[in-house]
Amino acid sequence: MERLLSKNSLILIGIVCGLLLATTFLAGCTSTAPQSPTPAATPQPVVTTAAPASTPAAAATGTPKPTFTPSQGNVVAFTAASLTGVSPTLASDFEKAYPGETVVFDLDGTQALKTQVENGAYADVFISASNSYTNALSKEGYFVNGTVKPLTSNYVIVILPAGNPRNITSLADLADPGVKIAMEDKSVPAGTATVAVLAKLANDTYNADWNSSVFKNVVSYETSEPAVATKVSLGEVDAGFVYESTYTAAPKNTYVAITIPKKDNYLQTYTIGVLKGSTSTGPAADFEKFMLSAAGQQDLLDFGFRPLGTS
Amino acid sequence: MKPSGSIPERYRRTITYIAAGFLILSVTLYLALPIAALFLRITPDLFFASLSDPQVTSALWLSLFTAVISLGVVILVGTPFAYVHTRCSYPGKVLVDTLIDLPLVLPPAVAGVALLVLYGRAGLVGRYFNMLGISIAFTTLAVIMAQIFVASPFYLRQAKSLFEQFDPAYEQTARTLGASPLRTFLAITLPLTAGGLGSGAVMTFGRALGEFGATIMFAGNLPGVTQTMPLAVYVGMESNLSSGVTISILLVIISFGIMIAVRLLASKKVQHA
Repeated sequence: MERLLSKNSLILIGIVCGLLLATTFLAGCTSTAPQSPTPAATPQPVVTTAAPASTPAAAATGTPKPTFTPSQGNVVAFTAASLTGVSPTLASDFEKAYPGETVVFDLDGTQALKTQVENGAYADVFISASNSYTNALSKEGYFVNGTVKPLTSNYVIVILPAGNPRNITSLADLADPGVKIAMEDKSVPAGTATVAVLAKLANDTYNADWNSSVFKNVVSYETSEPAVATKVSLGEVDAGFVYESTYTAAPKNTYVAITIPKKDNYLQTYTIGVLKGSTSTGPAADFEKFMLSAAGQQDLLDFGFRPLGTS
Repeated sequence: MKPSGSIPERYRRTITYIAAGFLILSVTLYLALPIAALFLRITPDLFFASLSDPQVTSALWLSLFTAVISLGVVILVGTPFAYVHTRCSYPGKVLVDTLIDLPLVLPPAVAGVALLVLYGRAGLVGRYFNMLGISIAFTTLAVIMAQIFVASPFYLRQAKSLFEQFDPAYEQTARTLGASPLRTFLAITLPLTAGGLGSGAVMTFGRALGEFGATIMFAGNLPGVTQTMPLAVYVGMESNLSSGVTISILLVIISFGIMIAVRLLASKKVQHA
């Protein structure tokens, strides 16, 4: 209760600050308001036509470039969003191991990063959470030959909000009417893995009805793995399918987990590769070396990823 | 200075014309080329094939349905609100004025997070709704609420300035002839401002149709329930580009329709002015 209260007061403080901020706009807004109606309406159309077309496009392709201009010593790594948690640790350990070289992570769903690369986005290294996307990019000739290597692996797990308000105790409960589930869109590697896991579970332990009931309970197909975790941690959904590493790396008591038996689980293999377009090949190769080194692998293990060769 | 001034005068004109033409051409091309590229990216066959893709059709209908409801709510609540707001003076009126404009400058993603922490199941107000068994986030209702939040300023601003500029003499005449305030509003004020209100409404509709950031944050992404056209473009970009392009083209066509409607309504306004 106390935690809730402090959260509430934080929100209230936020609202008050927002209003104060808003009042600073007062002068500007009131002076523009009494314009004649027709001129006020004509310039606005531009805003509307631009909005539907440009917002998604900007979200999909506009993200990578602004922060960093590629140059010697810097590595731009397009990285599967499920590595969000471990990325700062990886960055600082890489910089320690290779002084003078730095890495910037661009974290998004692998499917989004793949589209960006195919449309000409600049990156030195591509870390994929999906073999099929890696293979597709390989076939299209985006990687430097011989640089694509398996990096780490991850299992799928079910997470519930702290306190488990819906009292879900088993995978069977996920099919109960009214349970709200979030999972990744099937274009997201974690979504593909989740669909495969559910099919295996339905086949081995439950049945097709269970499978379809679980899908009926899905309230949102998110476009990245961390987005599912966020919806669960906010308590907005009762359960979410994420990678094991997300659960392991989260602070204690963030989530309650329900594990999926190994025989029904889906071992997602991550790959790393240097992209042909890289103008910073030395540091890019160093970064790949680091990621595959004992230090890089240890960072991944610390954040709940499974070592390569896990079965 | 004088003798040399007459010949460069000619040049100066030509240069001015060239510069003006270049300026107009570059702005036009900058705005038009991306749209043209969309149409060139896809063959008509592929366009019509994706048009029958259930994900595309469900997004189309959901978008139209939610945007129409949002518009209806904005008109029904916004018109009397704007009227009362302009005719009455009350404490904090300036603050209300600012609040109305806030969604115009607020990034829609922020609006989505704000709506989620208010109406979400664990949110400030949402938790009480949740106790009553009502959930708002991740439903079609959430899509509509996000659209109203983001798009209503377009209508409210327009309605406000129309009512502010409306000559009070008309209303006073009607009142002296014995009409009630309500009748005056319905028979005099509303018909005379209808053209302007209409163009505000069309802008609101367009903005609601294009809503992306707040929707994906607050309503999620579920085909047929909360996946509107802009969300389908985003998801389509990542898996099936041709369906993304198809929906984009549909949105371009609708946007053009909106622009034409605004033009027509704006020109209609001139008649009674």
